[in-house]
Amino acid sequence: MKKGISRRSALGGMAVAVTAPAVFGNDSAWAQSGSTIRFGGSLGMSGRYAETGLNIRQGYETAIKFINEQKGGVEIGGKKYRVELAIVDDASDPARATSLIQRQVDGDVSFFLGSYGSNIVLPCAGITEAAGKLTVQVGASADQIFQQGYRNIFGFFPRASRAWVTSIEFFKSIAPKPKSVSIIATNDAFSKANAQAAAAGCKGIGLEVLDLLELPEQVSDASSALATIRARTPDILITTTVDQNSLVIVRQMIATDTNVPLLYQFLGPQLPMYRESLGAKATGVIMQLPWEARIDFKDPIFGSTKAYIDYYNKNNTRALSYHTVGASSCITTYVEAMRTAGSLDPAKVRNALAATNITTAFGPVKFSPEGDGDAIVMGAKIGQVQSGQVQVVYPKDVKTADLIYPTPVWAKKG
Amino acid sequence: MNGTLLFQTLVDGLILGGIFSLSAVGFSLIFGVLGVVNLAHGVFILAGAYIGLWLKGALGLDPLAAIPVVFLVLAVIGGALQRTLVSAAVQRGSLMTSLLITFGASLILRDLLILAFGPDIQSLSSTWLLRTYHVGGVVIDGARATGLLASLVLLAMLAIALHAMKVGRAIRATAQQSFAAGLCGVDSNRIYTLTFGVSAGFAGASGIIIGMINPFSPFDDAYWTLNAFVTVVLGGVGSPVGALLGGLMLGEISTLSSQYIGPRFPNVFIFCALLLMLIVRPNGLLGNAYKASV
Repeated sequence: MKKGISRRSALGGMAVAVTAPAVFGNDSAWAQSGSTIRFGGSLGMSGRYAETGLNIRQGYETAIKFINEQKGGVEIGGKKYRVELAIVDDASDPARATSLIQRQVDGDVSFFLGSYGSNIVLPCAGITEAAGKLTVQVGASADQIFQQGYRNIFGFFPRASRAWVTSIEFFKSIAPKPKSVSIIATNDAFSKANAQAAAAGCKGIGLEVLDLLELPEQVSDASSALATIRARTPDILITTTVDQNSLVIVRQMIATDTNVPLLYQFLGPQLPMYRESLGAKATGVIMQLPWEARIDFKDPIFGSTKAYIDYYNKNNTRALSYHTVGASSCITTYVEAMRTAGSLDPAKVRNALAATNITTAFGPVKFSPEGDGDAIVMGAKIGQVQSGQVQVVYPKDVKTADLIYPTPVWAKKG
Repeated sequence: MNGTLLFQTLVDGLILGGIFSLSAVGFSLIFGVLGVVNLAHGVFILAGAYIGLWLKGALGLDPLAAIPVVFLVLAVIGGALQRTLVSAAVQRGSLMTSLLITFGASLILRDLLILAFGPDIQSLSSTWLLRTYHVGGVVIDGARATGLLASLVLLAMLAIALHAMKVGRAIRATAQQSFAAGLCGVDSNRIYTLTFGVSAGFAGASGIIIGMINPFSPFDDAYWTLNAFVTVVLGGVGSPVGALLGGLMLGEISTLSSQYIGPRFPNVFIFCALLLMLIVRPNGLLGNAYKASV
């Protein structure tokens, strides 16, 4: 009677099992199959950017699900295609992201969606650009991404130095006119670039910049910066910090009774957690609003912003964020460009993307010649927390409430 | 130099230092007694904050009232970790093994936190924590002052336990000479488990206080482990007083350098102080609390 499996055949079997996915699986997995459009890319679904990364992933998944299940796919050049998402976790690590993107580029993915964070998107853009592949992203706005001469990367946000156009116009509109401003940033590229842009814009309209204070990248204590603010109180205090740092700063402002007539936090107040954590103390805080749920736009895939929100809420439990809507609209924009081009040829789709002028659930989409969001068309609105809700206070034509200025001191906010 | 500003900076440093002290005492104790550099320390701190968050959400328990529960839960987790994994490192007596084991444990525990609570930023704040106190010309942050007071109470309790209680004497005896302690009837394995558990409990308690003051996410663990390491190097290994001194020193260096040199520089000065201490007094301000008395 024949014995069981021999050692040689067992080793051979293991070798086949290990190498088969590499030989067959990867090729077929990465190939652009005949009736499927595959969107590749990496995303920080773990690591320090995981919160926003998951918001973006929800947006991508929502659009893919809607197109396949509700629309039965998309028609490009007379042929029907299903869409597929091939996003991998870069753990919020640029080195990991670049190797993953290189693998997808080698595997022939042509259409990439962005990760989150300029420090990740910038090196990945270099790889996709060199390979002639396209990227549409809603997670990075550093100037450097759009100053390399790249032709194939498009972003939903105006580059950092132009992200302050609306805000500066808003400052000009405030009555009584503010005279001075101080800025708190952290020691990272995103925060510093925004702080520089804010300072330049404020100087441009005659506001005196009293202080530009820079904290370490992870803020656990801002007491010294706040002591400076108390000693020389500006009319407007701007923080260009990320969500977690913004919350550290504002909580310490409250606890040290550091009052300013207007607190403008670039990121942070958009999060429900921020407002819940501060309760009534959040009243009066100003923020940029890249997206506002109450402003309804037509969307070529979902129908409208309202229809998008309804569909999203019916299919997801995670709270909707502007990154989520933006991520869905990245896919809408891609699909519209493919329809306009009537082709999946990356060069033709690229030209259609460059000429994009549509509205989506996120809002109007139009790119600058360098690929970032048009500063006027895609510029953020200005929001203010009032009674626990975010109200649009600028521009005037879309505002949902009047600006509270100067805001009450912390002790009077309940 | 403005006197009020200097006094304000010193008070801010003191308050910040108190929090650093409490967050480091568990790390110090494990290092002193077991000779293990616990790289999972930061995750223990965050686990404390997350358990406090869960207790607040599910039972409406105020974060400060949740400290005993969190202490117990983390003590059990820490004790189990020591029994199952870290004891192997202690038996081998290899620093590298303990580093690898605790690093691996930190990755697993962090992922468990993400699975249980998600990666989002969370906060343990209560509105009452946002009160402000004015003493003379100095503004005192209510949340941080509460944190400092809680830290001092917990550190004092630990110091009393180590010096006045039988189990504390057994911990110190094991740290000084485990073989001799064994001859006197001390079960050193049990003491190692107990020490690891108590240390994890203190880390969890400090997590509550940190969560009351600052927002947190599962990815902050490295920051708190590093702070604990610096605090222990500055203050000395193994004693609550060493951790207290190290933490206060760290807090004062941080706020004074931020105020008078520039707010972007505290890390530079903290690590300069660390280097200086390693060169001049490698065992920290108080030295090794146990080895010195051998």
